[in-house]
Amino acid sequence: MEEGIITAIRIVPLEHYILLSFLLFSIGAAGVVFRRNTIIILMCLELMFNSVNLLLTAFSAHHSDPRAQVFVFFIMLVAAAEVTVGLSILVMMKRNVDSVDVNQLNRLKG
Amino acid sequence: MRRCNNSFQAYRYTEMSVLVLLSVLGVVLLYLGLFNNRGAIAGVGIAGLLAAFVLVAADWHLESPLFNGIIQFDTYARSFSLVMIVVTVLLFLFGIDYYAKVKENVAEQYALMVFSLIGGLLICSFTNLVVLFLGIEILSIPLYILAGGKRDSFRSGEAAFKYFLQGSFASGFLLMGLALIYGATASFDLAAIEAFSTALVGGQDMIFLLGLFLTIAGVAFKVAAVPFHFWSPDVYEGAPTLITAFMSTVVKTAAFAAFYRLIANLQLPGAVETMLVVMTICTLFLGNIVALRQTQFKRLMAYSSIAHTGFLLLAFLGTDARTPEVLFYYLGTYAMATVGLFIVLTLAKRAALGDENIRIFRGLFQSNPWIAVATLLMLLSLAGIPLTAGFVAKYRVFVISLTQGYLWTTVVAVVMAIVGIYYYILVVREAFTAQEQESKPIVVAPLNWLVISICGAAVVVLGVMPGLLRM
Repeated sequence: MEEGIITAIRIVPLEHYILLSFLLFSIGAAGVVFRRNTIIILMCLELMFNSVNLLLTAFSAHHSDPRAQVFVFFIMLVAAAEVTVGLSILVMMKRNVDSVDVNQLNRLKG
Repeated sequence: MRRCNNSFQAYRYTEMSVLVLLSVLGVVLLYLGLFNNRGAIAGVGIAGLLAAFVLVAADWHLESPLFNGIIQFDTYARSFSLVMIVVTVLLFLFGIDYYAKVKENVAEQYALMVFSLIGGLLICSFTNLVVLFLGIEILSIPLYILAGGKRDSFRSGEAAFKYFLQGSFASGFLLMGLALIYGATASFDLAAIEAFSTALVGGQDMIFLLGLFLTIAGVAFKVAAVPFHFWSPDVYEGAPTLITAFMSTVVKTAAFAAFYRLIANLQLPGAVETMLVVMTICTLFLGNIVALRQTQFKRLMAYSSIAHTGFLLLAFLGTDARTPEVLFYYLGTYAMATVGLFIVLTLAKRAALGDENIRIFRGLFQSNPWIAVATLLMLLSLAGIPLTAGFVAKYRVFVISLTQGYLWTTVVAVVMAIVGIYYYILVVREAFTAQEQESKPIVVAPLNWLVISICGAAVVVLGVMPGLLRM
């Protein structure tokens, strides 16, 4: 069964996975830079992490090495922890300025 | 079999116990907060950290791979761990006074600092890129929370959010870099990657090259090297002062230890070398020049911190056997001076009712001559005036970069070091100017006095006898 999945992943050439991951990663990064809504920014961060997960899984299947797949679990865990903290900071910010627009954050300058 | 046994012994008695001890310490601190034992929190924290110090120092020169060889607690890692633990103890001593008036969530602040410290210990001892990533996240995630420690302050919230956003963004790039390095080398193990880079010399591997670029960018973010420094002035200014001090000392030490560990034995491709040189020059230039026009002390310290990042990066260029030693000395003495200065800032800021302009130091010499002298010594050390530790540190960095043949980079660095003296002297001038109108005097609690004196004395003693602080 597992072998079947690995073979299925290997049917698609590695380059395609790399390109797809880069594409997703760039969409995520562009979203973080250009979107103003904080919730969307958090989603874009998640997209960046998940594109890396996809890439690691593809590499893992092509190298026949399970370590990267274990790393994927670590990344999922860390991403969850990070988003938890991010959302609570967001709630704190919402209480202070009643908005989730990042343009509100402009008082520290110099 | 016997070897296996030995490593198991080491596994049981040394750094494993440090990591466990610190994790338990953090939980204990949280419980103390839960049951309202406010008086005990800092005391227990300091006792725990001292125990951790003893555990790290006890097996000096003992190298033991841990967790199937993904962590190696060697002399290098131990030295940096000791510096981080000592600085955290000093900050906890400062915390007793700093948090005296805060009503709630004090235990959480201490506990999060301890958790962050664990991340710091992990990244200065990693031999596997997975641990590098996990360590950086364990170091950072508590800091995102700590930066927003003042819940009703808008600036603190803004600092927390900016730090979180840019930190996660950088983590994304770091991860992408690690994934690409794995794709090229089929391993997360640092030794295997070093072997791969040695075999590659002269050849081309785009995936590996891109991976290195992104990984170095991710780590450079943590040390606030230009062009990945945008978070640092804002976060330094907005975060509570104690946390700012923690970020500019413990976190910086950990991040630099990790950075050097990552690239020390890699055969860096030419493009990456060039990237490091450009980064160094930009960091030196921007940090020092922008610091010249700062009037807020915390922002000044942020740019000064960026400038020091530049000097530290200078020691990275080329592979020199003395680099770890120099990094260790530089970061240790820099941390001492910075901790003391941030404590003085807190006291002056309190007397000036929250103002952070460097004017608030005015009259310091009148009211507290000894504190003013200590401040002078710490500022001179950061500026790199002879007879202070800062001078020895900069001198050693310049010697390394010259022997590695980076003549022009070194010239830029020396010029920038001279430019840097100016903005430190500005602060010194304020501290030694008499105050015209009467205002609240600067009150120094005994513990703070002790910590400032330790820091002030340390930079001179280490400057005169540099041999005292070595790996």
